[in-house]
Amino acid sequence: MSLRLAALIAFIGGFIALSFEILWFRVYGFTTGGTAPAFGVVLGSYLLGIALGSVATRRFCTDRVRRGDVGLLRLPAVLIASASFAGFALVPVVAWAVTRVIWPWTLPGIALFAGALGAVLPLVSHLGIAPDSHAGTRLSWLYMANIAGSTLGSLLTGFLLLDVLGVRGASEVLCLLGLGAAGLLVWVSKPLRNQAIRWGVSLLLLGVGTVAAAGALYDGVWERLQFRTHYSGERFAHVIENKSGVITVRKGGEIYGGGVYDGVFSTDLVHDKNMIIRAYALAAYHPAPKEVLMVGLSSGSWAQVVANLPGVERLTVIEINPGYVELIPLFPDAQSLLRNPKVTIVHDDGRRWLLAHPERKFDAIVMNTSWHWRAHATNLLGREFNELAKTRLNQGGTFQYNTTSSVHVERTGCEVFPFGFQLVNNVVLSNDPVAMDSARWRSVLLDMRIDGKPVFDLSVPGHTKRLAEVLAVRPPGLAPEKPNPWLRSCADVLVAHRAAQHPVVTEDNLLIEFSRPWYWTQ
Amino acid sequence: MATQQDPATVGAAPAALPLPVLYGVFLISGFAALVYQVVWQRALFALYGVDIASTTTVVSAFMLGLGVGSWIGGVLAADSRRSALLWFAAFELGIGAFGWVSLPLIHHVGALTAGASGPATFALTFGLVVIPTSMMGATLPLLVSHAVRHLHNVGKSVGMLYFVNTLGSAAAAILTAVVLLRDYGVSHTLRIAVACNAVAGIAILAAWLVARLRGAK
Repeated sequence: MSLRLAALIAFIGGFIALSFEILWFRVYGFTTGGTAPAFGVVLGSYLLGIALGSVATRRFCTDRVRRGDVGLLRLPAVLIASASFAGFALVPVVAWAVTRVIWPWTLPGIALFAGALGAVLPLVSHLGIAPDSHAGTRLSWLYMANIAGSTLGSLLTGFLLLDVLGVRGASEVLCLLGLGAAGLLVWVSKPLRNQAIRWGVSLLLLGVGTVAAAGALYDGVWERLQFRTHYSGERFAHVIENKSGVITVRKGGEIYGGGVYDGVFSTDLVHDKNMIIRAYALAAYHPAPKEVLMVGLSSGSWAQVVANLPGVERLTVIEINPGYVELIPLFPDAQSLLRNPKVTIVHDDGRRWLLAHPERKFDAIVMNTSWHWRAHATNLLGREFNELAKTRLNQGGTFQYNTTSSVHVERTGCEVFPFGFQLVNNVVLSNDPVAMDSARWRSVLLDMRIDGKPVFDLSVPGHTKRLAEVLAVRPPGLAPEKPNPWLRSCADVLVAHRAAQHPVVTEDNLLIEFSRPWYWTQ
Repeated sequence: MATQQDPATVGAAPAALPLPVLYGVFLISGFAALVYQVVWQRALFALYGVDIASTTTVVSAFMLGLGVGSWIGGVLAADSRRSALLWFAAFELGIGAFGWVSLPLIHHVGALTAGASGPATFALTFGLVVIPTSMMGATLPLLVSHAVRHLHNVGKSVGMLYFVNTLGSAAAAILTAVVLLRDYGVSHTLRIAVACNAVAGIAILAAWLVARLRGAK
């Protein structure tokens, strides 16, 4: 085999291997809820498969195997074809399996796939490189080709295939590419007529079978992956797949990002089903929030509320996944958000955007952040981001974010800022004294309208009672003599958490991301 | 035209280095490499974002570094004047030295360039990681050139070296995610990788010296 042909095979092997790896990271990130340890374990399984595949080739790499024997090309052809087909079938298999067992039981499937492709590089090295003093140099060319294929695979799959075709389409394309590459290798190996027919028919059948079966095999995979052992045949109302991730919407309107609950669209404070009280509270603790930054859009409920608060002149929303904007037209009460001249939605990473715009200062920064245990949550919830946000506040400015009830995150915010309080499962922080003003809030809530509809209409039975409940900010049914767990000063939070020795979250200890067992899911 | 001399016969007696030692060292090297990848990518994502564009850009910069390193390793493997093993040891120590200063360096550069996007992110990331990733990428061709002289079999040499190196990386991926970052945090995990590089580099140097002394007797 020529070095050029060996390099081409190494390139194809790298391309398919990394393409499927990107695809599976999407799938496993979804079914595990995107926990940081799970990503490491999936990567480890993949690498373990490659390692075992490479050592398994030793039995084929005997000295009797001649380099010039092009018939040996059929071995990498078999490996690439079987890996590509296995790669295509793995997503439905994993989706089926997680409805019955916990996800780690599916990891051998990844190792098996990677093993087939891990065998390709040593094999083509043996067939394409003479065992002389130039072996290292020639190997470097194959290794480079393998790396180039890997890079192109990750770029093309991550940027294009997943964005345009989604996981199912990308799996089909990659499988067909792999089968095509295997066919090419067989053709180059100069098979006999009968062999050529057998190979051609087999690969064609596999290809046709892949396209024909894809619809049935991939039907309901996102539902299975999300609900896992709780899957009961439910179908999503909407699934949005793009290069940034997967957003799913249940028929009841609940929105999930990357398989994890994000929220439900509602600005209804009277029948508060999504704790929207936390968004309205901005008017209670800030007298005049003109310039507001919101990191994360999700359903758009919080943005809709904040954009309609009296006095807000500009709301800049930073959302990493453009798919959320596509959802807003689905909810009639949210649609006006996209037409509101005060609102600017930017698709970017929230932290990067803030770093890139040091000139922007805000009266309020609001983040209804996702779960604290998700990978990279530290980037927004750690000490370093709190310190960054602290520098971007105007005089009297506030920083509110969702701690998702993490004691570590609560303590972190309260340690960084001199003033603040806990609000339900959020913290509200400031460089200046900050407190809830019930009288002002009452006035705002009574005057406030969203799309012309009043938030409270005291002529409607029940609204007066509900307004009083809202202004009290207490869990329903909590006895009056009990301390209010929904409103605590940072001083009280710090006393409790310091006593319990809950450490502060930093980008060095990554406390919130790695504290749970690796196999844990929500 | 100069005649090429087999590096195995040059200077010392690297051929005396037992292959199991080489495999053990390359396993440790693969372990350290993946720890660096995890830690550096985390630090870079914090600066340049975790959106798909930034993550792909950072990963591509890593891959490009490995590719450049592979080419360098191939060139050096053909250099008959110096032992491939010595280059390997030097690279391991070089990776460790970079690893030692890497986080402060990334944070310093990040403080000056944070929020950069697109091509700037790629250039900055590549600039930050090109030296260590090139050294990482060079190690496989260097060791293959050495192992082939022992085994006279390319497939077995590549297969075993690729196996032990990737096995080390697999162990690192799992241990970093399950134990190291949780129990030791980023800085101490990085120091473990630095120690691995130091052990790998010093072990090869020591073995090379022993072989050289024996050859001199």
